[in-house]
Amino acid sequence: MHIPDAIVPAQVCAGGYALTGLLTWYSLKQINKQKNPTAQVPKAALLTAAFFVGSAISIPIPPMTVHLVLNGFLGVVLGYFAFPAILIGLFLQALMVGHGGFTTIGVNASMMGLPALLAYHLFNLRYRVGTESRRLVGVFAFVGGFVGLILAALIYVGLIVTTISTDFDVSTERTAVVTLLLAHVPLAFLEGGFTAMLAVYLQRVKPELLSAAKEAK
Amino acid sequence: MALTNFDAYIDGRSRLHIWTPRLKLIGLGALMFSFAAVKHLVLVAPMLCVAALLYGCSGLPLLFLRRRLRYPGLFILAVVLVLPFSAGSTVLAQWGPLALRQEGLITMVLVVSRFLSILTVGFALLGTTPFLTLLRAMRSLGLPTILADMTLLTYRYLFETASMLSTMQQSMHLRGFGYRRRWLKVERQTITQLAGLLGTLLIRSYERSERVYQAMQLRGYGRLTQAQLTAKQPIDSISWLLTVGCAIVAIAFITFEVVLSIP
Repeated sequence: MHIPDAIVPAQVCAGGYALTGLLTWYSLKQINKQKNPTAQVPKAALLTAAFFVGSAISIPIPPMTVHLVLNGFLGVVLGYFAFPAILIGLFLQALMVGHGGFTTIGVNASMMGLPALLAYHLFNLRYRVGTESRRLVGVFAFVGGFVGLILAALIYVGLIVTTISTDFDVSTERTAVVTLLLAHVPLAFLEGGFTAMLAVYLQRVKPELLSAAKEAK
Repeated sequence: MALTNFDAYIDGRSRLHIWTPRLKLIGLGALMFSFAAVKHLVLVAPMLCVAALLYGCSGLPLLFLRRRLRYPGLFILAVVLVLPFSAGSTVLAQWGPLALRQEGLITMVLVVSRFLSILTVGFALLGTTPFLTLLRAMRSLGLPTILADMTLLTYRYLFETASMLSTMQQSMHLRGFGYRRRWLKVERQTITQLAGLLGTLLIRSYERSERVYQAMQLRGYGRLTQAQLTAKQPIDSISWLLTVGCAIVAIAFITFEVVLSIP
């Protein structure tokens, strides 16, 4: 789910960079409120590398395989560090494998980063519900992962629809948009399920990794 | 995941190689944005010429560009190939139910040309600037310290993490993972195992990050002043000239685009 170069107009690219600048400023402001923000940097960087590599893991959904976006889970584990992590990941992906584009880094970062921040807040809602049981962690992680992907898909579709060629046949466009959205629904369930399994695993083996986001609050 | 050949830099002595990095970033960045603004067919040829000229000046081999364009090129083709047959009303040719339409064809030419121009300039920038120099240039242009440090560390540990994942996946396959796959059935156990794989990768990375942070602190991490971090090198006159040239070309493209858009 990356918008490549030359697909969206320059105004949208510039708007994407502006929004990314704003969200980065906000995230860094929240990060700097922490007791020792630099202590979190190596952890966030190594987890960014792990996510970057981990998103290349193929999930077999016969007859094909899919790759996860993991933006929701980034929000769940990294909290406010998720936005810079996504920005860096996209920058490296554009550089290394040609995913996305140079002029669309801002658009792509906003598209995936904003839902990641929302996923972080949704995941933190579990503290208001009750004791931190494994089931509760799983449910809220599922919601975070699901909302993370579905919201990113909605932004993606919204961008494509508003910037698509005006010569396109309306019925073809509508069919394409509906197909694109429907294709993302099972993926969002998969992303949510995977995020829940991952969160439960981390809760069992290394719970401090999940509480890092709480510290950032 | 192909993590080889990460740093696109190719050593050379071209004008682009010795162009002051932060000015090169500004100049070529402005050019890429002006290319993204092109919507009229008349500007396509000059845009492609400017991109080709810049790439020629970089002294980078064509093979480098061809290799780098392969993957994103396939993706963009998959996206735009449908346009000439689905967008527009002026039919140029008809083969049964398949009609080639003028408006769609023009849009496809525009998208492909913009894409080629932006990526050619982008790879001219990356091919003539080492990754760490690029990062320093970004930092001197105001990139926040946390972002710069995170990028640097992510870059530093990307290969090791990829190698760790590869070893873990190999171990899983040796223990029989993936051999009993059922056609058209998503197995919960497989997804749980893959979640465990990513979880273990995260835990190992997390544990390593603690040691990395302690080592960094012992080496003085976080004690440099902002002035030391963003110390700027002197800029030669040719670098200024190239940057101003790029800025003028970028402004010219945007001006022509605005003028052509006025009905």
